[in-house]
Amino acid sequence: MAKTIAIVEDDPDQRANYTDAITLKGYKVVAYSNREEALAGFEQSLPDLVILDIILGEEVDAGFQLCRDLLARAPSLPVIFLTERINEIDKISGLRLGAWDYLPKPISLDYLAERISSLLRINEVRAENAETESPTAKRIGALMLDQDALLASWQNERIDLSGTEFRMLAKLVRMPGHAVSYETLMNATMQSLVTNNTINTHMRNIRKKFEKVDPDFAAIKSEYGFGYRWSN
Amino acid sequence: MNPFRAIKGPRLGTKLMLLGLTLLIVPWFSYRQLVEMERLLIQGQSHAQLLTAEGISTLFNGREDLFNDLPVNIEDFENLYAHPLQNPVRMDGKLDDWGEELADQLLHFGSEETGADGDFELLLGERGGLLHVFMRITDANPIYRNPDYLRLDNADHVRLNFIKADGEDGRINITLPQPGVITAYEMDTNWRFAETGNPTNEVQGFFETTPEGYHLEFRLPLSRLGSSRYFGVSFVDVDDPETREVVAITQTLPTAGKESFNLVVLRSPELLNIIQGLGYSGARILVIDSEKRVRAETGSSLTVVTESAPPSAFRAFRLIFQEIRPFIHWITTFEEWQPIRSPPEASEEIADAAITASLAGNPISLRRSISEFNEIIIAAHPIVSRDAVIGTVVVEQNIDEILSFQRSALEEVILLSILSLFAVFIALLAFAGRLAWRIRNLRREASAAIDQYGRLRTSFLQSEITAGDEIGDLARSVSNMLSKLHQHNTFLENMPRTLRHEINNPLNTLSTSLQNLAEENPEVRDSKYLASAQRGVARIGSIVQNLADAANLEESLQAEELEIVDIDQFLNSYVANCRLTHPECEFVYRGPGHKVHAEVADYRIEQLLDKIVDNAIDFHRANSSIRIQLDTHHDDLQITVANRGPMLPAKAESSLFDSMVSHRGPQNRLHFGLGLYVVRIIAEYHGGFVRAINLADGSGVAIMVQLPVVEQQFEPAVAERIIPDVAAR
Repeated sequence: MAKTIAIVEDDPDQRANYTDAITLKGYKVVAYSNREEALAGFEQSLPDLVILDIILGEEVDAGFQLCRDLLARAPSLPVIFLTERINEIDKISGLRLGAWDYLPKPISLDYLAERISSLLRINEVRAENAETESPTAKRIGALMLDQDALLASWQNERIDLSGTEFRMLAKLVRMPGHAVSYETLMNATMQSLVTNNTINTHMRNIRKKFEKVDPDFAAIKSEYGFGYRWSN
Repeated sequence: MNPFRAIKGPRLGTKLMLLGLTLLIVPWFSYRQLVEMERLLIQGQSHAQLLTAEGISTLFNGREDLFNDLPVNIEDFENLYAHPLQNPVRMDGKLDDWGEELADQLLHFGSEETGADGDFELLLGERGGLLHVFMRITDANPIYRNPDYLRLDNADHVRLNFIKADGEDGRINITLPQPGVITAYEMDTNWRFAETGNPTNEVQGFFETTPEGYHLEFRLPLSRLGSSRYFGVSFVDVDDPETREVVAITQTLPTAGKESFNLVVLRSPELLNIIQGLGYSGARILVIDSEKRVRAETGSSLTVVTESAPPSAFRAFRLIFQEIRPFIHWITTFEEWQPIRSPPEASEEIADAAITASLAGNPISLRRSISEFNEIIIAAHPIVSRDAVIGTVVVEQNIDEILSFQRSALEEVILLSILSLFAVFIALLAFAGRLAWRIRNLRREASAAIDQYGRLRTSFLQSEITAGDEIGDLARSVSNMLSKLHQHNTFLENMPRTLRHEINNPLNTLSTSLQNLAEENPEVRDSKYLASAQRGVARIGSIVQNLADAANLEESLQAEELEIVDIDQFLNSYVANCRLTHPECEFVYRGPGHKVHAEVADYRIEQLLDKIVDNAIDFHRANSSIRIQLDTHHDDLQITVANRGPMLPAKAESSLFDSMVSHRGPQNRLHFGLGLYVVRIIAEYHGGFVRAINLADGSGVAIMVQLPVVEQQFEPAVAERIIPDVAAR
């Protein structure tokens, strides 16, 4: 049975493009243009994954509100923000609400499709074996990464990373002790417009998340003018 | 540079001071007014005096009888002036009761040298219709009359000859029998025998003998002399008691043997009676007949106004003022200062001129000074009778009061003018100072409201906003302008973000549509047009992103956390990494050889260096090295990135680090001039600054970033993270 993907986007062209592209990948797509419409639709049936724009018509925070409502109803529902609001503060508040990923426009449709399938798979895996250690898990010192479940833990403490952050970290730890260039890390984000600054921002967020668990965390090192290095 | 900038107008204070100088008009006008007032007062006084003279003269018009008691023609006569006597005189041979002022009015007759035998001095007085005569006779051998002799000319005696009221000659012999009362006889034509045997009792007198001779005093009724008053006195000296021969006759008559007489001139009591009631304070009234004889006089003009002694400071001022008055006069009236006073010596001539003019029939008034500090006005008006001038009335009045009034008024005006000028100047100075201070403050604040890059620092002014005057208006309107500008600036600053926001949606539509197009039509997937369209989309996205990043830079910098970093290590690591990322270039790093700590956000410094190094790589000459150097000076560290290559255009140096300014030329369309702007913003955020210079040898360009140094005593834990590990790679 095809998974149902809900898209909430006020711009009809973009909505149509997403719908077409995702339908092509073999998903069932429900598209809404505003918050009321979407809420009414979700009343009837919950989709397997939701893609939200933040600004819907006149409501500048409609996406955030929808995310809150949905997660209150179904806490394990994967939510992706796909928005032109790419300020740091919006990104943080979106992820804090419990969204699985925060993707800035303009987006590569291939990447979007990949994210969708990835998140759906992760959700399945999580539903199957919630507490057992996944066979796909990989251990590097105190760090444990589960590529499929997109789960990371440090000294056996769970670290909540966004999808992008997880991919960057995975790229970084592939060759521990070796410097990874900005360019490599940019590819890992799978976004079309990434600057060094974006990488630095992501890296700082990752560090902060680790430092919250372990204040002495210093495994991610800066290679000024080049990139980053993971060293234990 | 504008050459006119050097020529500045006067400052506000100077202008106000110059304006204040116009106040000098006040004393100028005052002085002119005072001079004019003095002229008017004196003119008025002259006029009043002339009117008085005229009024008095009308009393005498046609009254020839008052003047006719004297012969009109007096050229042939020696005048004997009979002084009016104020007090009754006793016949005692002494002069002390005649009045002090007459004591030296005696006339001398006889030889040239005084004191010769037979000489005498004579004084005539008049009172109550009686002619008083006093004689001081010099005679070494007084010979008294011997009553045994019938002849009266054989002893010392005095002869009076006159013309009687009936026109006949009158002869009286005053004999001196012995000291005491005199005896007088009417004589025959030969002066030998008395006309009658009895002495005449009309002449009464007294004489006494002194070591020098006689003092003789006698009186006779004026009526004896008739209206013509021809009169003569002679002393007949007899020295030998035996022979009793006449030795000498000393007479007042002309020495020529002809029959002539002296003339007794009298003040006219009737005239005097008339004018006496007219005399007023400070004025002297004279009635003068056509022969310039004073016929009546009343009052005195010689009143000296005793001024109360002014305070010494004021007196000093007055002396100074007297010195500078000619100068002031010249400045204010453009006329030479002439004290109108004539020297006292000339005053008699002036009086004479006035009387002469008046007797010619012209009323006249003149100023005349009688001493150094007293000036009088003489007004003379002719008295006419039947078309002939028979006399003149002269009114003299002291004008010292007017002059001293004018003087003190002048001094007050000058003193007050100086004081008020001074006060006004002080007030103007204070006002101008305060005004200039306020305007300077306003200017300082207004110019500080915008920084050197033209960005607003504040949206309102604080100084002078509450002031009610024009400066307050100016401040309010500038403040208003600033707040409007601030609104507009805010709009402009938000523009890139809004733009990105607005562009990203259609851009996303475009991008997803292109992808769907390729998906739907596999035959266009390899089309070069699709590829170029996708490149265009990416380009627009990066433009918008860069713009928004630059616009947000300052805001996002505020969120950065600063750490203490060893810049030497940092640069070592950075340059080592540069060699890896840019293998086509050669990088040379020269450090100070010791730790240099600064409190920075390391990513931002990395971003800063990225931009500078990118720039250096773009402009460096092939096969030349890019030199990076770290120096420390006092409290600052300096990072220099130098490359060989084209020099900076001269005008670029100041604008190089401004937003949206690119000096790369039109072929570099991917650059928006944001790189070096970012460098500047980051350097300034860290409390430093950046500048670009051409290398001294002209071979290239150096960009220098200066940042403050932190004195670091301990090894910071955070710095561990950035130890370079190039070998590990």
